[in-house]
Amino acid sequence: MLRTLIAAFGATLLAGTAIAADRWDGADDLDVNPLACEAGGGGAAAAKAYDGGQPTNAADKMGKPITLVDVPKLIGIGYFNATSKGIQDGAKELGNVTATTDGPTEAKIDEQVKFIDNYITRGVDGILFAANDPVAIAPVLKKALGKGIHVVGYDANSQPDAREWFVNQAQFNGIAKAMIDAMAKEAGEEKSFAIVTSTFTTPNQARWIAEMWAYAQKCHPKLKWLETVEAQEDNILSFNQANTLINKYGDQLSGLFGMTSVATPASAEAVTQAKLCGKVAVVGLATPNAMKPYVNADCVKSVVLWNPIDLGYAAVQVMRAAVDGKLKPGATEVEAGKLGKLQIVNGSEVLLGPPFIYTKDNINGFDF
Amino acid sequence: MMATTLLRANTESATVAAMKRIVGSQEAVLFLVIALLLVVVGGINPRYVAERNLESMLLGNAYIAVAAIGMSMLIVSGNIDISVGSLIGVLATISGTLATSGYPIIVAWLVPLALSMLYMALVGAMVAHLRIPSIVVTLGMLSILKGGLISATGGTWISNLPAGYHLAQMQFLGLPMPVCFMVVLTAGAALWMRYSAAGRAIYAVGGNAEAARLAGISRERTLMMVFIIHGLFVGIASILFATQLSIIQSTVPPNLELSIITASLVGGVSILGGTGTVVGSTLAAILIAAIGSSLIFVNISPYWLRAVQGILILLTVLADLMRRRRRAVRG
Amino acid sequence: MASEIKTASSSGLWLRGLMFRHEAVLLAILAAALAVLAVQSDVFLTADNLLNQGRLMAEVGLVALPMTFVIVTGGIDLSVGSILGLCAIVLGYSWKNLGLPLDGAIVVALATGTAAGFVNGWFITRVRVPPLIMTLATLALYRGLAEGISQAHSVRGYPDWFYVLGQGDVLGVPTQLWILLLALVLSAVALARTTFGRALYAMGHNEVAARFSGIPVDRYKLAIYTFSGFMAGLAGCIFVSRVSTTRSDMGTGLELDVIAAVVLGGTSIFGGVGTIGGTAIGLILIQLLKNGLALTGVKGDATIVVIGTVLILSILFTNFVQRRRDSDR
Repeated sequence: MLRTLIAAFGATLLAGTAIAADRWDGADDLDVNPLACEAGGGGAAAAKAYDGGQPTNAADKMGKPITLVDVPKLIGIGYFNATSKGIQDGAKELGNVTATTDGPTEAKIDEQVKFIDNYITRGVDGILFAANDPVAIAPVLKKALGKGIHVVGYDANSQPDAREWFVNQAQFNGIAKAMIDAMAKEAGEEKSFAIVTSTFTTPNQARWIAEMWAYAQKCHPKLKWLETVEAQEDNILSFNQANTLINKYGDQLSGLFGMTSVATPASAEAVTQAKLCGKVAVVGLATPNAMKPYVNADCVKSVVLWNPIDLGYAAVQVMRAAVDGKLKPGATEVEAGKLGKLQIVNGSEVLLGPPFIYTKDNINGFDF
Repeated sequence: MMATTLLRANTESATVAAMKRIVGSQEAVLFLVIALLLVVVGGINPRYVAERNLESMLLGNAYIAVAAIGMSMLIVSGNIDISVGSLIGVLATISGTLATSGYPIIVAWLVPLALSMLYMALVGAMVAHLRIPSIVVTLGMLSILKGGLISATGGTWISNLPAGYHLAQMQFLGLPMPVCFMVVLTAGAALWMRYSAAGRAIYAVGGNAEAARLAGISRERTLMMVFIIHGLFVGIASILFATQLSIIQSTVPPNLELSIITASLVGGVSILGGTGTVVGSTLAAILIAAIGSSLIFVNISPYWLRAVQGILILLTVLADLMRRRRRAVRG
Repeated sequence: MASEIKTASSSGLWLRGLMFRHEAVLLAILAAALAVLAVQSDVFLTADNLLNQGRLMAEVGLVALPMTFVIVTGGIDLSVGSILGLCAIVLGYSWKNLGLPLDGAIVVALATGTAAGFVNGWFITRVRVPPLIMTLATLALYRGLAEGISQAHSVRGYPDWFYVLGQGDVLGVPTQLWILLLALVLSAVALARTTFGRALYAMGHNEVAARFSGIPVDRYKLAIYTFSGFMAGLAGCIFVSRVSTTRSDMGTGLELDVIAAVVLGGTSIFGGVGTIGGTAIGLILIQLLKNGLALTGVKGDATIVVIGTVLILSILFTNFVQRRRDSDR
């Protein structure tokens, strides 16, 4: 029995290594579009024909009060609390918008679809969403459009024809450039890094990593990518995974990327507890509150993000403009309250702006 | 003369019998598998068995091992708790909130323990006195706790924790605190369950509640006790969980109850109630951490990671079953 | 005179017996909930909404039917969510990567689910792994297989006829609801009226005695776990059709939703007690509660608190009622 057990164990481990693929590289079959290498090199986004969907027979609510529902990926995490606040701020400023944030307690597409479905039945004038899956959410959004409900997305896109407009916090290749440039500057051009992400099937993370790899190959070819590990949205698992990476690669590891607001602080914590601050660079996407201890302790130099409150604010402004008929297919920019004029790229994407970098100098001014 | 020889041959010494029992136990199987893993994976990548990584592996799942102690006791008594993940999330948030609201650190450490035990007393009362199956009660409480936590906090990060709060990052006699807790609590609980009347009552109630009652053991009181003790261990685990990082995320950690239950079951605790030890569940928790770590060291394709994990868990469980089968055949 | 009194009291007792059955209590709770929710929202009790809810609950419903069988025998199957995910992935993979025609891919997906359930059943009956442990292990294993096979890719772009299954209607009623109703009727008849069904109850009450009385316990167990896998596979195909894509995380958490519906419906987790009708009521109650509360404006976090409370309170209530009935006798 013992011998069978040993044999089975060994066989499983070896079989696993035999099918070892290269490290996961973003794998979502979409094109990558790395930006130019010099600082501030944001490419002029190509003009594209409008590719969004339009509501059928939408009631004319120009100037009239409207009710909106905001269905993020899930409720109960700091990031979407911030976008919700932005939406509320925008609604209050506009004066004729009532917005509610409601959503599933877990980031599952099925749950999100059911929530949107219920609000369609209830009858709202507009739906704001951040999709758990771009294709899976499309049928229910199209149903909404079919009933004359306006649909605007933010943070995580759906298929273009399932919504009117999508407010993009930053271009995927812009985020990728900011992250890789920061890593190259902090760790060095010829160093090796690893990535801690949530899961391989989260669309935004997948895109960012694919763009990061493309950009690194183009502009920092000597940067070596060791591997990517999954850590769900679990704090301690992310911490354990980061620790394992540090233990496995030892001196070889010079940088860790955190791709979610759970992975980044956990990686920073692992580096701090291993007393490797300064020797292992931690660069990642995260909300400011989670990163304050590490940035203030100088363990993490910069945190890449955008302002989620502005993102929510912009989304509700875009929705109002669409309802009022001020934003029509084919427009190249939209007026978004205190954010000024926002550019429209890729046919139906409203661009919030360049990524925002939180550093020691400004992080304490934020509270989300 | 023949009779005396036969008698002598049939009477093993108590020590030999004890040794045989230990060697043939699930705990031994787990120990062996851990050793196997260290040898095989250490051979592939020596950094796997370096001190740093061994410490990481022990540390990583220590809080799960502590929670699994209480869970094992619960399962031995014939019950289960699937709300434990939500509970740990809630308790960690309460602890962090107390710590950042100016209360003394010791309060932030102890209040969650008390609350946990109170909560478990409630659950225990429903199971023991109102006769609701524990899986049903905890299934309902899972949602109530999770929804309640989101309503109360919205998932904010708790980040300005006072210095001296981070129990899990401290050391005691050179070992990380969580490891000390894990070892001491496991040993204490194991001894208690084996040698104290109350501990053995748990086995009795789990194995055959009717027989236990006839022997004078009160099912209701024993169950209440088990649930409250489970609450204590969950409380301790939640403090270790909350103090591991410099920040606390006030959400429910995903799949935590699954990890804890898996550790108990793989550790040899029988779901039919009545057998199993807490030493097994601790070893299982360590084994699961070791497997998780090993898969990264061995460069297993990240897509097949969970499949390999599932197979390894299944193999460990099968090993236990075969061992029991052979034991039964041998008599 | 005496005979009259006797008839009157026996029919009275029968009525009382009916009243205190778990299913009756549940129906009362359902009726009460419906009334309250209908008052709060005028779009709740519309044909449109109710049919839509029927569509949305089909996946949980299909899996809840074999789960009732399994729990009645005193077992459990935690791997159903993972089997759903695996079959969804296999469907997409067979169609896109292996190039099978889509109906062939559907067959392969269903076969995968059946095989997955069979593996569960085989280990549970032949190797005697306790169901909780076995299905806990396969929960991880099957999910892992789904992740491995899919390599994080989604498969989309199916032909239009495929979407009729999950998004279409037949005679005004959603397609999957027809399938659910059919499966429900067949399962109810099997459990309540056949030797097989009676055997399941016997196995749940006392497996050893059932074995000794000649019931082919192992064969039946194998059958129900295989059935469970098949239904999870069917639910997977419907899900893919409904959301028009495949993801390896589909079905996570399904087992808890299914078990909640089954337990709410009066099936005892210890085995030996439970009906398909009860499961159906439990399923409908949970679905309509979630829907009705959302339409009234109750948010997601508060809704799950309500569901959890309803689950505990209803079991409490029926326990209490059972106890009173037992003590009255």
